Amino acid sequence: MIKTEKVLHLKSSRGRKVRVVREHYLRERVPCFSSLCQADCEKDGKVLPGDLTHYVVPDAEVVVNYLEVLEFPELQGVVITQTACQAVHSKGRRFYNRLRNLLKDPRHDCVLFANEFQEYSYCPREKGESQEKWQTRCVYAAAVWYYNHLAGLMNVVMITEDEEAVSRFSSLNSGVFVIRVQDYLQDFWPELKAAHELYSAITQVLQEKEGEDSQREFSEHLPAEVLEAGIKSGRFIQGTLNVSKHRPQNEAFITNQGLSTKNPDLSSGVLVFGSKSRNRAVHGDMVVVELLPKSEWRGKVTALTERQVDEKSGDESETKAMPTGRVVGILQRNWRDYVVTFPPRDGTQSQSRNSQRILVIPWDRRIPKIRISTQQADALQDHRLVVRIDSWPSTSLYPNGHSVWVLGRAGELETEVQTILMENCIHVPPFSEAQLREMPVNSPENPWTVDPAEAAERRDLRETHLVFSIDPRGCEDVDDTLSVRSLAGGKLLELGVHIADVTHFVSEGSLTDLEARSRATTYYLADRRHDMLPAVLSADLCSLLGGVDRYAMSILWELDAQSLAVTKVWFGRTLIRSSYQLHYELAQALLNGMEAEVLELARLDPEEQDTKLTELTEALQKLTHIARHLRAQRDRGGALELEGVEVRAQLDEEKNITALVPRQPLEVHETVAECMIYANHWVARKIQEVFPYQALLRRHPPPRQELFSQLVDTAQARGFAMNTRTNKALADSLDRAMDPQDPLVNRLLRMMATQAMSQAVYFSTGAQPEDQFYHYGLALDRYTHFTSPIRRYADMVVHRLLTAALQVEQGAEPAKTPAGNKDVEELAEHINNKNRAAQRAQNLSIGLFQCLFFKERDPEIDPRCVADGIIYAIRDNGVLVFIPEYGVKGPVYMRNKEGRVVSAGPDGTCEWQTGSVRRYTDHIITTSGSGSATFRLFDHITVRISVLSTNCHADTLNLEVISNKPHRSAAPQLPSSQGRSQLVQEVVRLAEEAQEKAVQRPKLPREEREFQQSKAPNLYSILEEIRELALMDLETASRVCATTA
Amino acid sequence: MAGLELLTDQGYRLDGRKATELRKVQARMGVFAQADGSAYLEQGNTKALAVVYGPHEMRGSRSRALHNRAVINCQYSMATFSTAERKRRPHGDRKSTEMSLHLKQTFEAAVMTQLFPRSQIDIYVKILQSDGGNYSVCVNAATLAVIDAGIPMRDYVCACTVGFVDETPLADLCYAEESGGVSSLALALLPRGGQIALVQMDARLHQDHLETLIEAAMTACKGVSKVLDEVVRQHLQEASVLSRE
Repeated sequence: MIKTEKVLHLKSSRGRKVRVVREHYLRERVPCFSSLCQADCEKDGKVLPGDLTHYVVPDAEVVVNYLEVLEFPELQGVVITQTACQAVHSKGRRFYNRLRNLLKDPRHDCVLFANEFQEYSYCPREKGESQEKWQTRCVYAAAVWYYNHLAGLMNVVMITEDEEAVSRFSSLNSGVFVIRVQDYLQDFWPELKAAHELYSAITQVLQEKEGEDSQREFSEHLPAEVLEAGIKSGRFIQGTLNVSKHRPQNEAFITNQGLSTKNPDLSSGVLVFGSKSRNRAVHGDMVVVELLPKSEWRGKVTALTERQVDEKSGDESETKAMPTGRVVGILQRNWRDYVVTFPPRDGTQSQSRNSQRILVIPWDRRIPKIRISTQQADALQDHRLVVRIDSWPSTSLYPNGHSVWVLGRAGELETEVQTILMENCIHVPPFSEAQLREMPVNSPENPWTVDPAEAAERRDLRETHLVFSIDPRGCEDVDDTLSVRSLAGGKLLELGVHIADVTHFVSEGSLTDLEARSRATTYYLADRRHDMLPAVLSADLCSLLGGVDRYAMSILWELDAQSLAVTKVWFGRTLIRSSYQLHYELAQALLNGMEAEVLELARLDPEEQDTKLTELTEALQKLTHIARHLRAQRDRGGALELEGVEVRAQLDEEKNITALVPRQPLEVHETVAECMIYANHWVARKIQEVFPYQALLRRHPPPRQELFSQLVDTAQARGFAMNTRTNKALADSLDRAMDPQDPLVNRLLRMMATQAMSQAVYFSTGAQPEDQFYHYGLALDRYTHFTSPIRRYADMVVHRLLTAALQVEQGAEPAKTPAGNKDVEELAEHINNKNRAAQRAQNLSIGLFQCLFFKERDPEIDPRCVADGIIYAIRDNGVLVFIPEYGVKGPVYMRNKEGRVVSAGPDGTCEWQTGSVRRYTDHIITTSGSGSATFRLFDHITVRISVLSTNCHADTLNLEVISNKPHRSAAPQLPSSQGRSQLVQEVVRLAEEAQEKAVQRPKLPREEREFQQSKAPNLYSILEEIRELALMDLETASRVCATTA
Repeated sequence: MAGLELLTDQGYRLDGRKATELRKVQARMGVFAQADGSAYLEQGNTKALAVVYGPHEMRGSRSRALHNRAVINCQYSMATFSTAERKRRPHGDRKSTEMSLHLKQTFEAAVMTQLFPRSQIDIYVKILQSDGGNYSVCVNAATLAVIDAGIPMRDYVCACTVGFVDETPLADLCYAEESGGVSSLALALLPRGGQIALVQMDARLHQDHLETLIEAAMTACKGVSKVLDEVVRQHLQEASVLSRE
C-alpha cells in the first residue's frame, strides 16, 4: 500500500448549523512545480522557471479580487495556493473556471500548490479565528514552506491587501517578503501600466461597494436554497435570459430546452416584461423566474419598431398573451467583456463626472448601460473601450463595472472591426516568437525536404498515383487532392482522397496547437482574414501544391467498376506529389472536351501533351461518374440542397480584380464536394468504430417542425404546398416550388427553410445516444470534418483520432491516448462556440461594410442607393424586404412615427399621407386620402437605402419605399453578391485613402496594434473570403448566403 | 453555488487523498470478553463494532435449522449518535434490514457453514460513527470478529466502496463523496482466490466503465485485507504472549 498519510486531522466546519467532522490527510510530498526543487518532486505539467528574481504568492483575498491583474502574462512565477483556490471556488463556478483555465494555460507562468495537504505548510484553523485571517496565515505558511523547500535559492514574495498581515509577518523570515499589491506592482513592475490601471480600477470598484447606500431600486434576489427548492417543486422556472434585440428596454424571454416537454404552455418561453421584473439580470444569465398570475400576462409586440424611438405609446398590437414572469434570482451570471462607448460630453452627466463615475453605453443593445469609474473621462470622449461588469447591487439602477482597455475612437474602421471581434470574444494576436520557432523552415537558402525516415513509414504514392487538386483559381492553401485509377484490368476502380497532414507538423500540446485550439478556426472578415495556423504551414508546407512532395493523410476506396460498391477501404499516411493544380473552370472544360490550357503540360512536346491530357481527362470523367453515383445515393436518403450562390473573382497578373462573375454552378464543384463528403463520412465511421465514446463527429439535428410555419405560410401565399415532415419531403417540395416568372421566389423559400434549420454541431460520441448522430442536411448517419485541417481545428482533432485508430488496429498502443469523452465534449463545445462567433463576426463585418458604403453616398441623389426589393414577410406596420442586388434584408415601414402611412400614386410613387394600415396574412393594405395601396408577399418594390447612424451602436441601414413597382433598371438575373463584393472593395479603398490623409493622426493605442494582423486590408483576403464561401459545407454556405446574399 | 469538486486537476480528493488511496484503517480484536468474538474497526471516521456469538444451537424456532449447514443471522444497526444529527433509529427499518441481508449473504459465502449443521451463528454489527462506506466497514469489522470467535472461514472477507468521478475510480469513499452525487459500488471480496462475495450498486453507470470500477474495487479490497491480516497477526502475538505468561 502506498499510504503516505501521517496524522489524522479533524476539520470541523459549521455549515447549516451542523457540525461536520471531516478527515484531512496530510502528506510530506506535495509537488512544488519548480525547476529549482532540490527534493526532486515530480514535475509533469507546468514548471516554474528557476531564473526569476522571485516567486510571488498572492493572498486568498488578492486572488479572489484581483485575478484579472494576475492574469497578465508578464507576471511570472505565480504560486496560487490551494487555500486561495478554494476561496475562489466559493465565490462562484465562473471565477473558479477562469482560475483553472489560467492554471492550465501553458503560456502563463503560474502553478497550483496544494498547501493544505502538505504536512508542514498546513495550519489548522484556531478557535475564534476569522476565515480571512486563517487564509492569510495559511498562505504565509505556504510561502515560508516554498522558501525553505527551495533551500533559500529563490526569494518568495507574498502579496496581500491586509495591512495587519504585512506588519505581522514581514519581519518573521528573511527571504519571505510580505507586501501590499500596490507596492508590489510599483516595485517590481513599474513599466506595466495596464496592470496598474486595472488594479486601481478594481480597487475603486471595491471601495464603492463598501460605501453603497440609499434606497432599493430592485427587489432582492432570493437565496440559493429557496431557488433550488422552488425549481424542484415547479413553482419557479429556470432558464437563460434572452433579451429581445428589437425591444431591449422591455422584452426579454426565458428559454429552456426542457421547458416545453414538461409544460406545453411554456413551449414558446416565458416573457419578462420591463426592467423591474427583469431584476438586474443581464442577457445570457441563467436566471430563475416566477410566473405572474394569468391576469398579468401580456403578449409580445409584433409591430416593427423604429430604433430611434425609445418608448412607444401603448397602442401597439400584441400577440396573444403568453406566460409572463419576473426574475426572482440568478443562478449563474454570464458576464463577458463588453465593448462600450463613452458618451459625448453634454450637460446631463456633469454631476456624475465630478464623482468620476460615468454611464457608458454598451455596443450590444441588449446590455444595460454600465457605470464605470475613471479619471480619464475627458480623454475618452467618443472612444470605444472594453469593460467588465463587477456587480449590480439592488440599490443601483445600473451595474457597476471597470474599464479594461481602450479600443479607439468610435466610427473608425479599425475600431469598428476590433469591436466586432471583441464582442464575439475572438482574440487573434499575431503568432508569437515561440510559436513560430516551432515551425519547420522552408526558405530558398534552406529548403524543406522530405525526411527519409518519415518517408519509409509512409505509403509512397508519388509514382503510382495520378494526384491532382481542383480548387478555385488562385488558391494558396490546398487542403485536399484527389486521385482515381483502374485496378485489376478495369474491374475495380480506386478512388483516393488525400488531405494535408497538418498534425505531422503540429504536435498535440505544442504552442502552435494550443493557439490553433483556442482560435478553432480561421476567421474570415469582409476585409481581412485571421489564420488559424502560421502562414509557413497554411500556405506552404501543408498546402498540397503541384509538383512538390508533401505529406498527406489518405483514404483509398476500391470500388467495383460496375456497381460502384465499396470492396475495400484503406486509411493511412502517405507521401504524394500533386501532378496538376487545376481550377474548377479548367476541370469542367476538360470534362466537356473543350480546348483547355493545362499549365503543367505547356512545356512538353505536343504528342506527350496529348497522352497526358487524355489520361487526366479520363480520370476526371471517372471521378464525375463516381460522384454522380454518390450524390444519387444521398439524394435517395433525402439530402437537402439549400440556397447558396457564390461569386468568383477574376484576376489579372497583379492579382487585381478585373471582374466579378457569379460562379457558374459547374458539375465539377459538386463532384469535389461529393468526394469530400464521402471521405468525411468514412472517416466518421472509422473513428466511431474504434473509439465509440470519444470520437469527434458532426451532427445536424432535425429542425423543430413549428419553425417551418413561416415557410409553409409564405409558400402558401404563392400557391405552393410545403411538406416539411422529413428532409426528403422538404427537399422535394422545395424543388417543386419554382416560379417560372420569378426565380427569386424559390431562392427566398430556400432561405427561409435554411433559417428554420438548427445548426450542425460537433459533438463527442460518448455524449449523445447513437440515434442522434444523424446529419439531417446531408442525410448521412455519421459525419465529421476531416478534409480541411488547415483552417479548422476540428479536422486536426479528427486526424489525430484517425491516426490513433490506425495504431490501435495494428495492435500497437497509440502514442498518446486520445482524450476522454468529457474532454472531447468540452472541446466540441468550444469549437462550436468559436464557429458561431466566427460566423457572427463575419456577418457583422459585412454589415459594417454595407453601412460604410452607403454612408458615403447621399441617398437623395445617388442612383446606387435605389434598388429593387422583394417582400418576404408581412408585419403589423410594415413589411420585410430582401434586396438581391446588395444582399440586404430589412424592414420597410408602411406607417411612420407620426402615424402617416405610405400611399401610392397612379405611377406607383409612394409618399407619406395620413391614413391607416390593415394587415392580412399575405398582404397589407394602406388606406389614405388618395386611395389605397396593397403590398403582397413576393411583390417587387423600389426602395431607397440610407444609413441610420448612431454613436454608440453599430450603424444600421434604413429602407424606405419609393415606389410599389419594380425598380426600373433592376434586372432579376443580376448576380446577387456582386454588389456586396464591390462594396467591400469600395470601402477598403476609402479607408486606405483616409489613412493616407491622416498622417497626423496620433499613433494607435497599443492594444489596437496588437490585435490587428494585417494593417492594410489587401485584396487577397477578399478573394479568400469569397473562396471560403465556395468551399463551405452545404449548410454553412447556405446559411451565410441566407444572411448575406 | 458551486458544487464540491471531488477530484482536483492535480488528482487530490476532498480530504487530501489520491484516487486509489484508502482511508486510515485501525482495528482491535477481542474487545469484549462476554461474546465469543468481537472486533472494533475504524476506517477513517467510520467506526463500527462487531460481535459474534456461536456457533450454537438454534434459538427460537427450531424449524429454521438446516440439516447440512449452519444458519447465519446478521443484525445491523446504527447508533443514534452516529451521524451529524441525532436521530432515533428503530430496529427493523428498511435500510438496516437490507444491510443485514447483505451482510448475511456475504458471510454465508465466506464462513464454512457446512462444518456446523443444525446450528446458528449470530453476527451483530453496530455503526458508532458513520462517515461513508458503512457496508464495507461492517464487513471488515465482522470478519475480524468471526476470526476472533475462531469460526473457520474460507478467507478474509474484505469490502470496499469505490466511486466513479471524471472517468477515474475513487477508492473508499467518505460521506462527503458519497453524497456528492457519485455513482458508487460496494464490493466484498475473498482476496486470496479473488472470488467476489457480493457486489452492490444503486446508481447508473455505463456498462463499459463497470470493469475498471470492479478492478479498482478489487485492488482496494486487497489493500484492506493486508491491513486486516496485520491486525490478526498482531492480536495473535499479543494473545500468545499473554497465554505464555
